[in-house]
Amino acid sequence: MNDEKQVVTKLFKSNNINVPANRMDLLDRFLQDEQNRATINVIIENQNQLMAKWKLEDRIAEIIQQPVRVLNATVGKAYETRFDFNKFNWKDITAFEFSGLEEVGLRYDEKTKQITGVPTQSGDIKITLRFKVDGQPEDSAFNEKVITIIINPDPKSLWKNVESDKNDPHWKENDVTVFAPLGGRHILVSSKRGRSHANVGSFREDDFAFRDLENGWSLVVVADGAGSAKLSRKGSAIACNGVVEHFLQKSSIESMAGFDELLQQHKNSTGEDTQKKLNHFVYNNLGKAAFEVHKKLEAFATKEGIALKDLNSTLIFTLFKKYDVGYALLSFGVGDCPIAVLNKDVTEVTLMNWLDVGEFGGGTRFITMPEIFKSEKFATRFGFKLVDNFSYLMMMSDGIYDPKFVVESNLPNIKKWKEFLADLNGKNEDGAKVELQADNKEIVQQFSKWMDFWSTGNHDDRTLAIVF
Amino acid sequence: MRRLPVYLLLDTSGSMTGEPIEAVKNGVQVMISSLRQNPQAIETAFISIITFDSVAKQVVPLTDLASFQMVDIKATGTTCLGDALKVVSTCIDNEVAKTTAEQKGDWKPLVFIMTDGIPTDDWQSGLEEFKKRKTAFTVACAAGSGADSNLLKQITDNVVSLDTADSQSISKFFTWVTASIGVTSTKVEDGGKEVTGLGELPPPPSELNIVT
Repeated sequence: MNDEKQVVTKLFKSNNINVPANRMDLLDRFLQDEQNRATINVIIENQNQLMAKWKLEDRIAEIIQQPVRVLNATVGKAYETRFDFNKFNWKDITAFEFSGLEEVGLRYDEKTKQITGVPTQSGDIKITLRFKVDGQPEDSAFNEKVITIIINPDPKSLWKNVESDKNDPHWKENDVTVFAPLGGRHILVSSKRGRSHANVGSFREDDFAFRDLENGWSLVVVADGAGSAKLSRKGSAIACNGVVEHFLQKSSIESMAGFDELLQQHKNSTGEDTQKKLNHFVYNNLGKAAFEVHKKLEAFATKEGIALKDLNSTLIFTLFKKYDVGYALLSFGVGDCPIAVLNKDVTEVTLMNWLDVGEFGGGTRFITMPEIFKSEKFATRFGFKLVDNFSYLMMMSDGIYDPKFVVESNLPNIKKWKEFLADLNGKNEDGAKVELQADNKEIVQQFSKWMDFWSTGNHDDRTLAIVF
Repeated sequence: MRRLPVYLLLDTSGSMTGEPIEAVKNGVQVMISSLRQNPQAIETAFISIITFDSVAKQVVPLTDLASFQMVDIKATGTTCLGDALKVVSTCIDNEVAKTTAEQKGDWKPLVFIMTDGIPTDDWQSGLEEFKKRKTAFTVACAAGSGADSNLLKQITDNVVSLDTADSQSISKFFTWVTASIGVTSTKVEDGGKEVTGLGELPPPPSELNIVT
């Protein structure tokens, strides 16, 4: 009775109908009338229904607008993220289904409360959560909430492989892998254009050369053309060929004969004197080669009317020869490419050179720089080692050194070299294995495949020479 | 792997209300989606967002592009640019790895500042802190006539200005920022060389005036 009276009083009041005191009896009788009471109850019921309906709509709108963050995914990479309704305060969701998940390779598991799968498509993907909340009639339509899942492209798929211009006068083959006998041993060497170059159709800037000389010496050269120099691909080629050409010269062949004699003297004596002479010999003969290469680059730059720095390239080379006492190894290096010799049972590593690495990236030195020949450090760029035997002689450009050794301080660590050998032997993500055996018929294909390893952020040209 | 840290310092003061702040949000979104398509950027670039109004705060810590999610930003309050310079200095100290014998550090960070007004705080003391940090380059953008290019010139040599802070100009600025990050990430990955100034960046669009 009271409820009814309240509703009617409110209704009259909002319509400016005043019930004076002398009409109260009449109102009471009015409210007792059966028909009127029924009408009032319908009003109350309708009001309640209306309010409930509004609350429902408001709640649905709240869920639809509620910001929901879902972890980003990547195409091809297994994805798993918790999507817990309770965490979003969605306990009142009574029925739901996702649409759009399966189309991109994902699904929702109600039990584990997870979205999982391997995404197949990249983009800002709009997923629809169709849901009903508590209070909605069963046959009512689903409400729709749009959720964005960011799916990144597979980084590997973003790299293009654009052919380099074969008509360019200084064109160079993109990928070269060679296996050949060398100095009674074998050399396996590969030089590959980096993804960053392939992506824009530019050229491989690394280069290499090797040669058996008629005086019993064998020569291996690796050069890395600077990314910032426009003709560095030519610079590295001139550098590699220049070293070979130098040591093929008659004067050089004759001069190198002096080493045999010095070594004999050294073997027979214990004094520092012969060691000094040997060092001097290396400095003179290899220094001459380095300087000749520098001059060749200078002449080429002049001829082409370009700056010498346009040919910027690092250069390392090693000469080795077998004697009764073991192997003699002579080296020269400018730049950031390491030369390492591993002893017979791979328990020791000998580094033939130090690396020119600046405090910041790009601080390296090049064979094109005249100042390196004047620097007091020049004499320290040469290496001479006499070893009983060796298992591997390794020479590489920073395209290999950076991803595999990362920092210079890892180079003297034999553990890192053992890991590197294990990597070559198949201990890697792709299971790419190179059997370093001379009778391995597949060695070139195996090595070429290994060289294509994926390393995030390392897409420079790669050159690796292994003498074994 | 060496990361390329990128700090975006965005003015969220009251004067940015409406079109400008929406344009900034949209600009960042478009920038991120577009950089995700760049193979070098997606591997190297890490982005952080620092907003400044009555205070400055890092609203997105240094995050790789693949995991990056933009947060909602609102325009309110004053223009504490000095505080923003302090905050970015602290973030650089905490987030950017230094090169040591055992590890390869990150590349030097890129800093982009965008403001439509004049600093309301003691910006010189913030600048003093900021100057002690090494960056590859800092670009400041004076958006609209309310900003003071000459003041920004004291923060960095690389100042660009937008005649108006409307959505078209702001979106052009972000397009250029995107291209600059793309070029820098390619340079560091490719040549191992850092970019040092405006001259090495792609030419700005006509809406961006270089302040000399």
